[in-house]
Amino acid sequence: MSLVKRYSSKKPYLASLSRRDAIKWIGALSVTAAFPGLTACSSQALAPQSELAKGHWPQLELPVINATGYGKDPNLIIAPRASWPRTLTAAQLTFIAIFADIVAPREGSVPSASEVKVPDLLDEWVSAPYERQQQDRVSFLHLLAWLDEEARRRFDNLFVDVTASQQLAIIDDIAYKKAMQSEEFVRPAKAFADFRRLVLACFFCSPAGVKDIGYLGNVPIVGDYPGPSDEAMTHLQGVLDELGLTL
Amino acid sequence: MMEGQINGHDYDVIVVGSGAGGAMAAYTLTKSGRKVLMLEAGRDYDPKTETPMFKSNFDAPLLGAGNSDKDFGFYDATVDGGWEVPGEPYTKGEGSEFLWWRARMLGGRTNHWGRYSLRFSEHDFKGFSRDGLGADWPFEYWDLAPWYDETEALVGICGTNTGLDDMPDSPEGVLQPPPKPRVPELLVSAAAKKLGIPTAPMHRAVLTRPKDDRQACFYATPCGRGCSIGAAFQTTTSLIPMAQATGLLTVITDAMVKEVNVDEKGKVNALTYIDKKTKQAHRLDAKVIILAASACESARILLNSKSESHPNGLANSSGHVGRNIMDSTGVSYGAHIPALEGRPKYNEDGHTANHLFIPWWGHKVQEKKAMAFPRGYHFEIGSGFRAPSSWVSGDLDGYGKPLKEIAKQAYGSYVGLALRGEMLPNDDCYMEIDEDVKDKWGIPVVKFHWKWSQHELKQVEHGLKTARQILETMGAKFDKPLPKAEDAILKGGQIIHEVGSTRMGDSPTESVTNQWGQTWDCSNLFVMDAGVFASNPHKNCTLTIMTLAMRNSTWLARQLDKGEL
Repeated sequence: MSLVKRYSSKKPYLASLSRRDAIKWIGALSVTAAFPGLTACSSQALAPQSELAKGHWPQLELPVINATGYGKDPNLIIAPRASWPRTLTAAQLTFIAIFADIVAPREGSVPSASEVKVPDLLDEWVSAPYERQQQDRVSFLHLLAWLDEEARRRFDNLFVDVTASQQLAIIDDIAYKKAMQSEEFVRPAKAFADFRRLVLACFFCSPAGVKDIGYLGNVPIVGDYPGPSDEAMTHLQGVLDELGLTL
Repeated sequence: MMEGQINGHDYDVIVVGSGAGGAMAAYTLTKSGRKVLMLEAGRDYDPKTETPMFKSNFDAPLLGAGNSDKDFGFYDATVDGGWEVPGEPYTKGEGSEFLWWRARMLGGRTNHWGRYSLRFSEHDFKGFSRDGLGADWPFEYWDLAPWYDETEALVGICGTNTGLDDMPDSPEGVLQPPPKPRVPELLVSAAAKKLGIPTAPMHRAVLTRPKDDRQACFYATPCGRGCSIGAAFQTTTSLIPMAQATGLLTVITDAMVKEVNVDEKGKVNALTYIDKKTKQAHRLDAKVIILAASACESARILLNSKSESHPNGLANSSGHVGRNIMDSTGVSYGAHIPALEGRPKYNEDGHTANHLFIPWWGHKVQEKKAMAFPRGYHFEIGSGFRAPSSWVSGDLDGYGKPLKEIAKQAYGSYVGLALRGEMLPNDDCYMEIDEDVKDKWGIPVVKFHWKWSQHELKQVEHGLKTARQILETMGAKFDKPLPKAEDAILKGGQIIHEVGSTRMGDSPTESVTNQWGQTWDCSNLFVMDAGVFASNPHKNCTLTIMTLAMRNSTWLARQLDKGEL
């Protein structure tokens, strides 16, 4: 994997912006801290600090999302793209872009997660006023803050501004199943696992991702459904033989 | 849709509801020359222009994922409905959990349903005679069989005759050919076969051959979104336009029925509905009324229709309105199948739901009293190379290229078995009117009471064990013990097969309607939704709702001819 950094606080991720969002974004650029407005409060934190003896976990006070959803009868043909305001700052989007590209980097002609606008989808996701999304928002924003704490602790800088190999040194500690066994990494590793699955989901839903995972449906077929290909049936026959089964 | 002043007396029959029962009644009656007025509580809906057929999850908010606004995902055809309807609450008794699905739209729940269309068999109609539990239906399978034939031919059902005792055959030429099974379904079939359990093509209300002005399935786009080409059956692309073509059907949407009114002799003579747009109440004269508002909504209307002659609610002299509610039992159990990892890709959409399933195979064992539970279940198979969504399968670890490889290898290697089983009625499962709570239209709401009995829990326990055996035979490995039945079983109402609130029977003291859906207490009041079911076989209810509505409104038309009503 290339360790050249695509994004940093000097090279921010550029969201697909509406005019109104753009004004907000320019405002956010002038803010130097990564997480303005986030202060200590245990109310929405993942788990109280005292529960685990080792490690650290930020205690963020997150403003409650009380936007309205798209309702029971949205236009399904011209879908409302996030009818609620997006809430991530430019710094957070840049952070997520780096992070998403670590999860799903460019591979040859297959674009990376940020190239198919995964950070925009995640902004929509964590800003949505629904239960699953709100839970993810709490988890993900704490993870980002944890990564910054960790980058400061180890390398004395924001996560987005340490080198790519330093970023990976931190990620390596929380990205593998074994991290769940190490008490200090239980919480960031769990949050990372959830974030990773969602980043991949966003990526594979994109037109490039659909192709990459190999989904061949959603195409009208004239006549009868042809069923499995010869190759697929040959493979199945091998499976059946191995398991001692017959059709 | 409302033009000028509506006078109920201009119509032979008023039908409440436009879903499976109401639309079939309206179709049958208008075809026999009767003038019908249909009232629908939801909005007008046109699948031809409103169905997001080929949209990808990428086009939808939140990758199309479900939430409290759209429970089954953004593109689900249900509009203005779901487990919760704003301004239309329901309550639950202490310790009861129940979910009440409502679709406030023309065509009701037929717009999004699974379209599984299995005939009930002779076992299913005579449960009480077989094991002494619940109630028999007031007729035999063979009384209904010709009506199943007609309904299947009209609706368009794909499937085959299997000769299995759980799947009565249809006459030659009625069923349309089913699509070929997919690879994971064939693997399930082979594993089940080793365990002595048969599989069969699912019967679905999906056209694989064109019919009237509806097209054959083109094997793309999820049926739950609705089907603008009419291949997947919904009343909005079939029965309702066909009934309208007779010139004898008038439809009023946004009409929330509040109560059915009676004359001084206690006979039905009118109904009152709220026009949702103006919030005004309207009283419509009525000669004959068919309630097909969905089981619990029809029972709600009856219980809310109190009068001097019907102090406990209309048609409720038996006290059975709102009793005997049953849902299907539901459990999902699945596993990653290592042998399906990285298998060759092909277009696995098909008609988007089960091509093969596992019908109930245990009647003979149950006859010998050798099974720990009464009544059967079936398994629906969840599998396939699905359109990417907000969930990625696989035992994900790490990041980057190796991570993506894990996800790509796991794609299409997960198989889930969803149990749908028969529930028996019990005294703890019923609905009543909550006198303290009204909806935004001023109508008292329903209060549900719910508790599964040992029959359901034992059945689910058996199903979980069987599912695990099948999956293990396919090579799945499990590192956790099976979940307990009481933890695994889904909530009441969650399978959306609630039936029985106005059950039919032979006796006015034990049932609400006779075998024709005619209420014992009022000869000109009928129920033609799943409320009349005397039992809830494991098979999905819609085909039988439509079949009964066709049979019973044909009988109703004859009674009108004879001047009996």
